[in-house]
Amino acid sequence: MTFAERMLSIDRRIIFLVIGLCTLIPLLYPVGLAIKVSPEVRSVYDYIESLPEDSVFLLSLDFDPASKPELYPQAVSLLRHAFKKNLRVIGMTLWLPGTGMANEVISRVAREEGKESGKDYVFLGWSPGGSSVIINMGQDLYKAFPTDYNNQPTSELPVLKGVQNLRDVSYVISLAAGTTGIETWYVFGKDKYKFELGGGCTGVIAPGLYPLLRSGQINGLIGGLRGAAEYEVLIGRKGKAVAGMDAQSATHFAIILLVILCNVFYLLIRTSTRAAEQR
Amino acid sequence: MPFEVILGAWVATGLTLFILTFLYQDNPLFKLAEHLYVGVSVGYAIVKTYDTVVIRLIYEPMVKQGDWSLLIPLAIGALMLTRYAPRAAWMSRIAFAFVVGVGSGLAIPRVISSYILKQIEDTIRPLLTLAADGGATFTYDLLNPASNLNAVVLLVGVVSVLFYFFFSVEHTGPGQAVARTGILFLMVAFGAAFGYTVMARMSLLIGRLTDLIEYAQPQYERATWWLLALTVATLIVFRVRRKGTEPPP
Repeated sequence: MTFAERMLSIDRRIIFLVIGLCTLIPLLYPVGLAIKVSPEVRSVYDYIESLPEDSVFLLSLDFDPASKPELYPQAVSLLRHAFKKNLRVIGMTLWLPGTGMANEVISRVAREEGKESGKDYVFLGWSPGGSSVIINMGQDLYKAFPTDYNNQPTSELPVLKGVQNLRDVSYVISLAAGTTGIETWYVFGKDKYKFELGGGCTGVIAPGLYPLLRSGQINGLIGGLRGAAEYEVLIGRKGKAVAGMDAQSATHFAIILLVILCNVFYLLIRTSTRAAEQR
Repeated sequence: MPFEVILGAWVATGLTLFILTFLYQDNPLFKLAEHLYVGVSVGYAIVKTYDTVVIRLIYEPMVKQGDWSLLIPLAIGALMLTRYAPRAAWMSRIAFAFVVGVGSGLAIPRVISSYILKQIEDTIRPLLTLAADGGATFTYDLLNPASNLNAVVLLVGVVSVLFYFFFSVEHTGPGQAVARTGILFLMVAFGAAFGYTVMARMSLLIGRLTDLIEYAQPQYERATWWLLALTVATLIVFRVRRKGTEPPP
C-alpha cells in the first residue's frame, strides 16, 4: 500500500481529533483575528440605529436549541442594540421547541439592560399556525396573542400602547433556522402589511436567502456565527460569537487543507494506476 | 451560584459528552443521550401545546370570556380525531379539506407574488441605467449588489441553468455550451451551499466546546472534568466487556 493509499484510508477518528483540536485550541488561546463587517449585516445595524426612540421592534426567534450556537448570540446582540436605543421590544417565536429559550434570552438581556417586562418589552411566546399567526397579527395582534408568555393580557401592557397590528411595527427581524422563518415573514407579513423586514439565520439556510436580500425583500441579513460576530463588533460588545471566530477560521483552514490533501493523494493514486495499466 | 444552574450545567455537560462519544464508536452512553433527547423534546412539545392551545387559546376564552364562537374551529379540529374510528373516519376529510383549502388559498397568491414575480423582476433588472441628463451608466463592481455587472452574471446564470433543465432540445453545439455554463453555475451554487453548511456545523461544535470550557470552571464544580473522566472510564469498561463477546472477524 502506497503512502497516498494509506492516507486516503486513514481512520476517520483521526480527522475528528484534528478538527476537535483546531476548534479547542483557539477557544482556549484566542489570537483575535480581525473581523470585517459585511454590508448585509451593517444594513440591519444601520436600520435599527436610524429608528427613533420608542419605535416598535419585533424580534421573532424562530429557532430551537439545536441552532443556539449560531442564533443565540445574534439575538443577544440585537436585543442589546434595541434596548440601548430605547426601542419598544416585542419578542415572540413561531417555533414551539424554542419557546423557553426565547423567553430566557429576552428576560436575561432585558435584566442586564435594566428594562422592565410589560413596560419596555414583552415576550408573547408561541402560538400555533406559523403563517396563520403572522396573518392574524397583521389583522389584530391582540387576537393572535390575547396574553403574553406570563399570562398577562396583552391589551393592558404599556409597551404595546398604540400597537394594533403589524402595520404599527417599525422593524421586524426573524432569526430563523429554517421554515417557518424569514421567508414566511416576508410572504405573509411584509408583502401585505408593509413593514421593514430584516433577517438573521443559520449558515445552512443563508445561501437560499441571498436572492431575497438582493431583490430588497429583506433589508439585511445576519448569517450564522460569523454574522453574529460582525454584529457584536458593530455594537461594540464582544461576546461568544467573536470568541468563536478564531476557532471558526482555524477549522476552516484545516478543512481546506484536508480537501486539498485528499485531492492530491487521489490524483497520485490515479496517476500511478494509469502508469501501471500502460506498462 | 443557584443549585439549579449548577445542576443544569452538569446535565448539559454530561449529555454533550455522551453524544460526542459517537465519534469514537456507537455505545450505550450515546443511545441514552439520544433517547433522552427524543423523549424530552416530545414531552416538552406536548406540554407547551396543551398549555398554549387547549388552555390559553380555547378553554380560557370560552369559559372565562364567554367566546363560544371558538366551538366552530374546535369542532372542525375534533373531526380529525375521527380517523381513529374506522366507521366515522370519513368525517376527518371535512377537516382536511378545510385545512388544504384555506392553506392553498392563503399561500398560492402570496407565494407566486413573493417568490416568482419579485424574483423575475429582480432578474430582468435593466442593464443600463438612464441618468437624468440623458446619459446612460453601466457600473462594473462584483462586490456591489446594485452593480449592473452582477445583473449580467445573474441573467447568464438564470438562463443557462434553466436551459440545462430544458430537456426538449438536445444539448449539442451552442446548446451544449449554454448547458455546460449552467452546470458551472450549479457547481458554484452547490459549493457555496456546502461551504455555508460546513461553517454552520463548525459553529455548533464551537458552541458546545465553549460551554464545556465554561462548565470546567470551579463555580460549576468542574463539571466537564468530572464527567469527562466518568465518560472515558465508562467507555473503557464497555470496551473491555465487549471484547469477550465480539464475533470473530
